[in-house]
Amino acid sequence: MTTDVNQQRIVELTLLLLAAFITCATVAIAAVGDQVEITWRVAPYLAALLILWAVAHVTLRQRAPTANGILFPIAALLQGLGFALMVRIDPSLAARQTTWALIGVVGFFVVVVGIRGLHQLRIVRIPLGIAGVLLVFLPLISDSDPSDLEISLALQLGPLHVVPGELGKLLLIIFFAGWLADHRTQNTAEFWGETLRIEGDRSRFIPLLGGWLITSAVLIFQSDVGSAAVTFAVFISMWWVAVGRRTDLVLSLGAITATAVLAAVSVPELQNRLTAWIDPWSNPELGAAITRSSFALAGGGLTGTGPGAGNAEWVPGVTDHFAFVPVGEELGFFGAAAVISGYLLLAGMGLRIATKARREFDGVLAIGIAVFLGGQAWASVATTLRLLPPSAMSLPFISINGSALLTWNLALALLLKISETVPEASDQTTVLPGIKLEAERQS
Amino acid sequence: MTRRILHIGVGLLVIYVLLFVQLELTQVVRADALRDHPQNIRGITMVFDAPRGSISTADGEIVAETVTVSGARPRLRQYPYGSLYAHLVGFISAEHGGGGLERSHNDFLAGDDLGVRIQDKRDFFVDRARTGQIKLSVRHDVQLVARAALAGHQGAAVVINPATGAVLAMWSAPHFNPNHLSSHDLVSVADDFVALKSDAEGPLVNRADAQLAEVNAIFTLVTAATAIEVGLSDFVAPQSDTVPTQAIKNDGNITCGGDMASLFITYCRTGWATIGLKLGGANLRAISERFGLTESISTDLGNQLDGLLQSGEEPLSAPHVAAGIGVKLSPLHVAHLLATVGNDGQRIRPHVVDQVQGHDGSVIRDFTPNNLGQVIAPDTALTLRRMLAENVERGNAQGLALKNVEVGGILASGFAEQPHVWAVALAPVTQPELAIAVLLEGDELSDPHAAETVVASITRSIIEAVLRLPSPNVEGTQ
Repeated sequence: MTTDVNQQRIVELTLLLLAAFITCATVAIAAVGDQVEITWRVAPYLAALLILWAVAHVTLRQRAPTANGILFPIAALLQGLGFALMVRIDPSLAARQTTWALIGVVGFFVVVVGIRGLHQLRIVRIPLGIAGVLLVFLPLISDSDPSDLEISLALQLGPLHVVPGELGKLLLIIFFAGWLADHRTQNTAEFWGETLRIEGDRSRFIPLLGGWLITSAVLIFQSDVGSAAVTFAVFISMWWVAVGRRTDLVLSLGAITATAVLAAVSVPELQNRLTAWIDPWSNPELGAAITRSSFALAGGGLTGTGPGAGNAEWVPGVTDHFAFVPVGEELGFFGAAAVISGYLLLAGMGLRIATKARREFDGVLAIGIAVFLGGQAWASVATTLRLLPPSAMSLPFISINGSALLTWNLALALLLKISETVPEASDQTTVLPGIKLEAERQS
Repeated sequence: MTRRILHIGVGLLVIYVLLFVQLELTQVVRADALRDHPQNIRGITMVFDAPRGSISTADGEIVAETVTVSGARPRLRQYPYGSLYAHLVGFISAEHGGGGLERSHNDFLAGDDLGVRIQDKRDFFVDRARTGQIKLSVRHDVQLVARAALAGHQGAAVVINPATGAVLAMWSAPHFNPNHLSSHDLVSVADDFVALKSDAEGPLVNRADAQLAEVNAIFTLVTAATAIEVGLSDFVAPQSDTVPTQAIKNDGNITCGGDMASLFITYCRTGWATIGLKLGGANLRAISERFGLTESISTDLGNQLDGLLQSGEEPLSAPHVAAGIGVKLSPLHVAHLLATVGNDGQRIRPHVVDQVQGHDGSVIRDFTPNNLGQVIAPDTALTLRRMLAENVERGNAQGLALKNVEVGGILASGFAEQPHVWAVALAPVTQPELAIAVLLEGDELSDPHAAETVVASITRSIIEAVLRLPSPNVEGTQ
C-alpha cells in the first residue's frame, strides 16, 4: 500500500517543495533589505513551519491519499509568503504565528483523521449552528470598540488571541449545509420547474430569513460592510446551488438591499465609515489606513520594492486587515496579482470539488467553504484597494490575526476531505458508466 | 446543480476581475499621481534616518546638514540658520513628512535619483550610501538683508537676477523653526506641528510662492505690454472719472486720461479699463500666458497655482483685468514678470536650486538657466522699463527712488479682502541686476500712504544692500 502512492500526493509534494523554496527565498531576500540577525532569530520558526507542512502532507498520504493535491500547496505558499512579509515588519509575531500554525495543523489533523465520514458532521449540525451564532456575536458582548479598524473583533484568552467571528461563520456554514441537505428536495427549482410562482412549502423561507437576519445583524451591530457582504454571499450561494428558485432569490436580494440602504442612512458608525470611504483625504482618523495603503501600493508599482524593502509599517493594521498592503508594495503588481490568483484558484478548486461531490451535503458544504474563502480574501483585498468601505477583514492564511489561521486550516481540511475520490463506497460506480458509454459509442 | 455552481463561479470571476482592474489602477495607472499626492509623506518619512545630502547657498553657507548622533536614531537633520531658510529649504520630520526643497528634491538628497546613486563605476557593484548635495542660487547675504528689512511685518520678499532667473532671496513671514520639526523628540514635534498647522496666520505657508494678492497697478505693466505688442501704443484715453458699464472708478473720483505713459504714472483705472475694452480679454490672456502668470512657475518648490485671471468660476472682464482689479498673483509671479521685462523680454524660469553635486563636488545635475523664449519684443521691454523709471521719477512710486542708482518700479495697494501693499522694482533700470517684489499684508496697513512708505523703504534697503554687496564667488571658495 505504501509503495502505491496516489498521483495527487506526488503533485502535492512537488508543489509543496516549490512553496517551501519560495518562502525561504522571500525570507532570505527580506533579510538583505533588513537586519540579518532578526532573520536568524526567525529561522527556527520558519523551520517549524516547514515541518508542520511536512506533517500535514504525511497525514494526507496516510489518511486521505486521494484528496486533491493542489489545494494544500497553494494555502501553504500563501501562509509562507505571509510569514515572510509580516514577520519582517514585526519580528515579535513569529512566535505567535508559529503557535497558531501548530494549532492549525492539529485542527487539520483532527478533521482529516478524526472525521471518518462527513455525515458525522451532519449529525451534530444543530449544536454546531448554535455555537456558530454564539461565536459570531460573542465579540459584541465584550467591550471592544468597533470603530477601531486596527484591532479585530477579538478575545484575549491568556496569551491566545482568539478571533471567533471566522470560526463561527465556518460552523454556521456546516449547519446551513446540513439544513439545506435535509429540506431542499421539496423546494428545488428542479422539483418545481423554472417557475416564478411564490407557492410551495412556506418553510423554505426559513433558511433565507436566517441568512438575512444574521447578515443584517453583522451590518448593523458591527457596521462592517465587508463581513456582512461575505456572510450574505456565502448563504445565498449555498442556497442558490441547493434550491435555486429565482423568485426567492429576487426576494432575498431585495430584502438585503433594503436593509443595507436603511442601515446606511440610520447607523451613525456605518455612516462614518462610508464618508471615510468616499473621501478618505479629509477624514484623517478612519481614512488614514485607506490613503496610506493606496500610497504604499502606488509606491510598489509594477514590480514592487522587493521583499523587505517596503515601508508598509506606516499603514495602521498592516499585519492584520491590511496585510495585502505589504504584499502589493513589496511584490508589486505582478506579485500581488499572483497572490490574488492564488485565492481565485483556491475558490475555483473548491467549486470544482463541489461539482464532483458524492452527496448533496458535501457539495453544498464545499460551495460554502469556497465562497467563504474566496469572498473573505476578496473583501480584504478590496478594502485595501478602496473598493469596499473600511472593513475588518483579515486575509486568509496571510494575515497574522490569531485563531483565524486555525479556522482556515479547518476549512481547508474539510475541502480536502470532500475531494477524496476513493470513498467508503466502491469505486466501480464511477468507472462503470464510462465503460458503458465507450461500449455504446463503438456499437 | 452543476449549472448553478457555474453561476457562482462566474460571479466569483467577475468580482475578482474588478479586483485586478482596481489593483492595476492603484499600482500602475494612478501610481504617479498617488506618489506625488500632497498627503503622501511616505517617501520622505522613509528616509528620515538615512544619510542625506547637505544644502548650501550660492556663497557657500551650509543651511541644512545631517549630523551623526548617538541614540536610538543614528542621524539628525540640522538647520544652522533656523527659520532663515524655513520656507525655502523646508523641513523633514519623522512622522509629519516634509516641506520645501527637502520634500521636492528628496530624491537627490536621499540618493534615490539614479544619477546620484551611480556616481562612478564601482557604485554598480558596491552598495554605498550616496547622497546629493544641493547648491542653492540664493545668496546668504541677500537673504539676511531681506529678513532684516521685513522684521516685524507679515509678508514676503522675492529677489531675482533677471539675466539668469536665479532667485537671490526668498523670505516669508511669519516663519517657523525647522529644527523643531526634525527633532528626535517626537512628542514635542507633534505638538509643534499641530500648533503650526492650526495657527491662523499660517507660518507654514511660503507666502513668497503661495500667497495670492490683488495686484492692481502692477498688472497695468502687462496691459501696456499687450497694447504695445498689438500696435496700440499711441492710444489716448479720453478724460473720464468712471466707466459706468463696468462700475470702475478712480481713487477719489478724480478725472484722468491721456496717453499710456501718463496713465501709468497716475494709475488711472478708467483709462486702463478703456484700453482693456479696446484690447479684449483674449489678447490680455495671451500675453499673461506668455509671461507665465497663468501657470505655476515654481516647479522648484512644487507649488500649485491656478485660475489667476479668474474670480471664482467666472473669468474676469477685460476692463477689470486691464486695470488689474481682481487679478491675483504671488510675489514670485510678480518678481518673475519684472525680471522678464528687465531681461529684454526673454523669459527665464526662476529657480532656487543651481546644482546637485556628488560626494566629490562634481556636478550631477545643473538647473541653470532655463530660457522659456522671447515673450515680448526687446523694444517693448525697453519702453516698459522707461515707463517704470518715469513712475519712480515723477509718478506714484517716488518712494522707491535711490540716490546713486536709477530705479524703476510700481507701488500698489489693495483692500478688497485683506489689506495689503506691493512694491516691485528693477534696479538699475537701464541694465537690471535685480528684480524685486515685496508684499506686506495685515490690518495695520489700513492707511495706504503710510503703508506705501513702509514697503518702499523696505524695498529700497534690500536694493541698496544687493547692489553694494560683492558678487558671489560660486566656483572658487568652498
